[in-house]
Formats: sequence, structure tokens, C-alpha cells
Amino acid sequence: MIPIAYNLRNLRARKTTTAAAALGLALVVFVFATARMLTHGIDKAMHQASDPSVAIVLRKGASAELESGIEVPKISIIGTAPGVAAFPNGRQQVVGELVAVVLLDKVGVEGGFSNAQVRGISDDSIAFRPTVKIIEGRAATPGTDEVVIGRAIRGRFKGLELDATFDLSKNRPMKVVGIFADGGSAYESEIWADVDRVRATFGRGTIVSSVRVRLDSPAAFDGFAAALDANRQLDVSAMREETFLLKSSQGTSIFLSAMGFMIAFFFSIGAMIGAMITMHATIAQRQREIGTLRALGFTRFQVLTSFLFESILLSLIGGAIGAAASLLMSTQEISTMNWATFAEIVFKFEPSVGIIVSAMVAAALMGILGGFWPAIRAARINPVQAMRGA
Amino acid sequence: MTLLEVAAKNALRNKFRTTMTILGGAVAVLAFVLIRTIIVAWNKGVDYAAKDRLATRDKVSMVISLPKHYIDDVRTKIPGVKAASYLSWAGAKWPKDPNVFFANMAADENVFDLYPEMEISPDAIERWHHDKQGAIVGAALAHKLGWKVGDKVVLAGSIYPGDWQYTIDGIYGAPPQTALDQSSFFFHWSYLNDGVKAGMKDKIGWIVTRVDDPSKSAAVTAAIDKLFDDQDTQTTTMSEHAMNQGFLGGASAILAALGIVSIIIMVIMMLILGNTIAMAVRERTSEYGVLRALGFQPGHVRLFVIGEALTVSLLAGLVGLGLSYPFIEFGMGRWLEENMGNFFPAVHVSPVTAATAFAATLVLGGLASLLPAIQAGRLQVTDALRRIA
Repeated sequence: MIPIAYNLRNLRARKTTTAAAALGLALVVFVFATARMLTHGIDKAMHQASDPSVAIVLRKGASAELESGIEVPKISIIGTAPGVAAFPNGRQQVVGELVAVVLLDKVGVEGGFSNAQVRGISDDSIAFRPTVKIIEGRAATPGTDEVVIGRAIRGRFKGLELDATFDLSKNRPMKVVGIFADGGSAYESEIWADVDRVRATFGRGTIVSSVRVRLDSPAAFDGFAAALDANRQLDVSAMREETFLLKSSQGTSIFLSAMGFMIAFFFSIGAMIGAMITMHATIAQRQREIGTLRALGFTRFQVLTSFLFESILLSLIGGAIGAAASLLMSTQEISTMNWATFAEIVFKFEPSVGIIVSAMVAAALMGILGGFWPAIRAARINPVQAMRGA
Repeated sequence: MTLLEVAAKNALRNKFRTTMTILGGAVAVLAFVLIRTIIVAWNKGVDYAAKDRLATRDKVSMVISLPKHYIDDVRTKIPGVKAASYLSWAGAKWPKDPNVFFANMAADENVFDLYPEMEISPDAIERWHHDKQGAIVGAALAHKLGWKVGDKVVLAGSIYPGDWQYTIDGIYGAPPQTALDQSSFFFHWSYLNDGVKAGMKDKIGWIVTRVDDPSKSAAVTAAIDKLFDDQDTQTTTMSEHAMNQGFLGGASAILAALGIVSIIIMVIMMLILGNTIAMAVRERTSEYGVLRALGFQPGHVRLFVIGEALTVSLLAGLVGLGLSYPFIEFGMGRWLEENMGNFFPAVHVSPVTAATAFAATLVLGGLASLLPAIQAGRLQVTDALRRIA
């Protein structure tokens, strides 16, 4: 085998070329990884909140909380369906919540405004979601104009700051008394207010948007859903919360994934061509060297693997730089409109081991694809001709 | 043979490398044009918003409807209003594929007067006026779902439960320079109102107003909101421009990220090109030595290098644009219009985008060759001749 030191020395000897090719690859891997981190961040925000044993009940035909409406008396009927779990205090784990969007002024954008999602919560809503923690201030007192807001939405709109107030309707200021966190889920982009207060503001009569129930086990879902279906008077249908969240984030994440894929695709082609040019030139310049290697007795196969290895090494160096740079992005938060709710949602560039590994694999793959043809050319070199001069 | 021609010919000496470089550059140009086209298409809703059109909605939330009588107040009590109409978001689904999203709205009879840029035959509007369950649909939506004029269509209600039956009375189009969504579905507000429960009757989603004089739209905006200020339901009126900006602005961070990506891709192209040129220069060191020995000046040598880079980037730009047009005009653009028409009403390669891509390619190509050109110009004749590539 041709010593690896040979390849290392070569990369060092042609510093500028190596640096340019590696930088190109680094940028490709950087964009590739950040695009994936972005999609992953949205997915995480959307699905974090999902609990396999939670089901969400909406009015038949509705696929989003905003579209749905369920009369309040039906909440307790839903709670009597088979399979619904109870809180330690014996109450059924059933919460009816009203969801709406409000127009608020954005912070930092002159004249800018956007929709924020408001969730009218019931007394049990926070207990129902064990992952939700008040991280600053305190929980809102039920039945008052106090609200708690998600960690991610804090400071993004005017009045959404601890102890600040904002208007939900004319002359009825709402006071922010607490900030909550939920592991990066979409709830962190919401304002949680008292359900009756929200209902009054939005003129919603006696309805809620959705009813969430916790079941004894994920397997209890089928029986629960069938029981609701059988009761035609209810006119509601149940969905696993996982399915619901997946559906409601589809539009946003399909678009972003498609963009991410397209970008990664074109970038990879670019990087592959870059690697190919570099390796090709290296080999053209090193005709004589390769001839000598062959004359020394190294086989064609050994030359081929050596050059392929060099190409992969080059790609991996670039890939590692790119992947490291992409990790720096993970502190960044970015907001976009969730097209299912028309409200803004804040998420992070979320790195994962899988993303970094796949970015490195992609880099290596680009090295293999880009280096293969030049490596074959190198292996084909006739030692006698090559050493005579090129 | 001029020096520039020599430079151009130089590019063809290593055909494989030049082809690959052109291809790499072309892919970068294609990606750049794609991304920029998406950004332009996204912003189009804002840039092309009608100057004389205003929208009035509930002050607190778009999910709250306005009382129907507000439209009469706007029509009669506000000076400077040329025409006013109203719409309600129905949010119904196409039962055969509930995942297909399209705007379906209940509208007042005169709604098409508010959108003069809409291309629709007077016959179709006439038919619609006489058909209580009639619908007018956008060309992109009709194409996607295979609807023709005269077809019976049933939509499944979500906000307003039930099956809603329609007859397609007409299909509208829009000239490419407008930002009108061609995947909307309009039907009679009266049909909706007759079919909903008592508590939901006589509500309208939002009011659209056209003003006589666009320069007075601020005054009209203020007058409308003041009119309803003491009512239970207060309003927010804004220009179509401001509304679209608020709506589309939700994705501004993503667009900014895309913008950065489009710049990075051009930088990568520059690196590929610069690398190629640097290699070419290194290979030809002794040749440049000979040229210098023959009496050519360092300026000539620099010109050779830059000329070669410009030739390659020119070709890369041309090939890239040549790929972009069919890809967007016949592929991605139509797909986006049909599937995401609300956000991308009209996706076309704008001349500005094409020109920017082309100019950026040339400029970056020139820049990429600067360093190798300077190095080549600095070469000492004796060194160059002594050195073996």
C-alpha cells in the first residue's frame, strides 16, 4: 500500500489548491447541515409536544384547532368515553382549550405586525402537560386577565415581556405574569390566557376549539375514537396527537424540506465537480510521480485506492470544517409563519448526531464520486511514458 | 488574432477541466436563479399589491367576523370609496384529497369589480350571477384538480360543517406581472349565509375597498377605522401592500436565510473557478516565461489570465441561464403556482434575476482570476523558465 503520509504531504504541498477545494466543500457541508438542522428544528418544535397516549378531539371535518368548534357541555361527555385516564386527584385528564390568533405589533420592525397564537387554557391545562414548566414569574391565576407566555415568543411582540401588558381587546389589558418552557415545542410560541377570558374576547359563545384527553395507554386510542364516532350527537372525531401535529406542520415542513433538499442537491453537484477538478489537476501535475510509483512496483489498484483516499481525505477535511461551522448556528433562533395556524412560530437550528454524520457521509461521498474518475486515470498511467516527461 | 482571442482559446486547452468548470459554474448559476426566483415570487405579493385597494378586518383577530352591516356603512358613509365588497374565508376541503390547500371564499356579488386585473369573461360573471351555487375558480386550481366550466363540485366544510355543492361557472386567469393568486375559489356569500346556523348568519370575514385616489388611501383607512371605533367590533384597515407585507413577512427570516445561501453558492462558484484558473496558470508558468522573454509585458500576461477566466464564466453564465429558464418555466414554477399559489402566485424568472446572475458570474469570475493574474504578472522571466511545472 502506498503510505498515507504520501497523500497527507501532497495535500500540504499544494496548500492553495487544497484550501480552496476544502473551503468549497466546507461551505457545501455547512449549508447542507444547516438546512437539515432547520427542518429538524421545525420538526422538533412541532412534534416535541406529542405524547403517544394523548388524543385530540376536533369537530368532524376540521383539521386544525382554528377551524374547529366544540360546545362546552360536550367536553365532559368526551371525558366519559372509554380509555380516558385520570389525574391523581381523580379528575378525568380532559382539557378543552380555545385557540385564536391575535394581531400584535412586532418588536424591532417599524410598523411590523404579525399573528400570535393565543390558547385559552383550562385549570388543568398545565397539569395535563407535564413537560411545561414555568421558568420565570408564576402561573396565571385562573379567571383573571393574567397570562403566561412561551419562552420563544417572549420579546418578539410589543408587550410580551414579564410584567408587561398588551391589549387583547380594547381597554382590557392582559398582564404577563410568567414565562414557560416546553423543551422547544411549538407551545413556546403561544400566549396562554384564561379560557373564559379568551372566549369573551373572541365572541365564541360556549365553545372550545379542541379537547385533549390522556388515555390509559396508546393502545386505548382505537376504542376511544370508535366510541366518539359511534355517538353521532357529538359530531366530533379523535386523532392521535402525533398524527395531528404531523398533519398541521406538513405544509411548512414540506416546503422547507423541499428547499433544503434542492439546495443540498445543487450544492453537492457543485462540490463534486470542484473535487473532481482538483483531483484531476493534481493527477495531471503528478504524472511523473505516479509513473515513479508504478515503476517502484505499486500496482494499479494501489495507485487507484491511494488517490481515491486522498480525495476522500480532502472532502472530509472540508466536511469537518463545514460541520463545525454549522454547529455554531445552533444558537440562532429563527421565526416563520406556521401556515396551518397563520401564526408565527419560533424555532432553533437543531443539530443532531444523525445530521452531522450524514453531512460527513455526504462529504465523503462527494469525495468518492469526484475522485473516482481521476483516480482511474491515475491508475491507467503508463509508467514509462509518464517518467519520460509530460 | 487579438490577445483576448488567445486568452479565450487558452480556456479550451484543457477541455475536460474547462467543461467541468463551466458545468460547476452553470449549476451554481442555476441554483442562484432558482433561489432568487423564489424570493422574488414571494415578495411579488407585496411589490405588486394594488395601490388603490384596502382591506378591513377585525382589530383583534382574523378569526373574528365583522357584522354584515359594516359593508353598508363603508359604502355609504366613507367619502373617497369607489367600490367596496366583502369576503368570508370558508376553509372547506376537496374531499377527494383533503391535503390540497386552496383559498375558498364566500364573496359578495360585486367582488370581481374590485379585482380589475383578473382575467375573466363577462359571460362567466353573468352565469355566476344567475347561479346561486355557482363558483368562479382560478386557472391553476382548475388545472390541478381537473375542473372544467360546468362541472359539479362538492366541498367538505370545516369552519362551516356540511357538504357544499357548487357548479363551476367560470375560470379566471391573471397576467403574469400581477400577484393575483390563481388558485382561489370564489362562491356566493348568500349561499353560505343561507346554509349556516342561526348564530353564524350575517357575518362577513373582511371588507375590500377600492379608493378613488390612491394618494388619499391613508385618509380613507383612518375614516373606516374611526367609523367603527365605538362599536363592539373594532376594525383594522390596511392597504393591500401592508396586509401582504404583514402576512408574507412572517417568513422573512427564512427568506433572509435563502438570500444568504444564494450568495454562498456564488462564492463556491468563485472558488471552483479560481481554483481552475490557478491550476492553469501553474501549468503554464514556463509558457508565460517564454512570452515574457519574447517581449510581452506583465500586463499582457495578466490579460491572458483574466481573459481566460472571463471566457469560462461567460460560458458558465450562459449555460446556467439556459438551464434555469426551462427548469423554472416548465417545472418548478408551475408546480409552486398550483400547489402553493397563495404564497407563490406567479413564479417566473425575472429579467433582473437573470441579469444579476449573469453579471455576478462575470464579476466573480474576474475576481477569482485576479490573484492568479497578479501572480502570473509578477513572474521573473528567468524563474519562470527555470521552473518545471
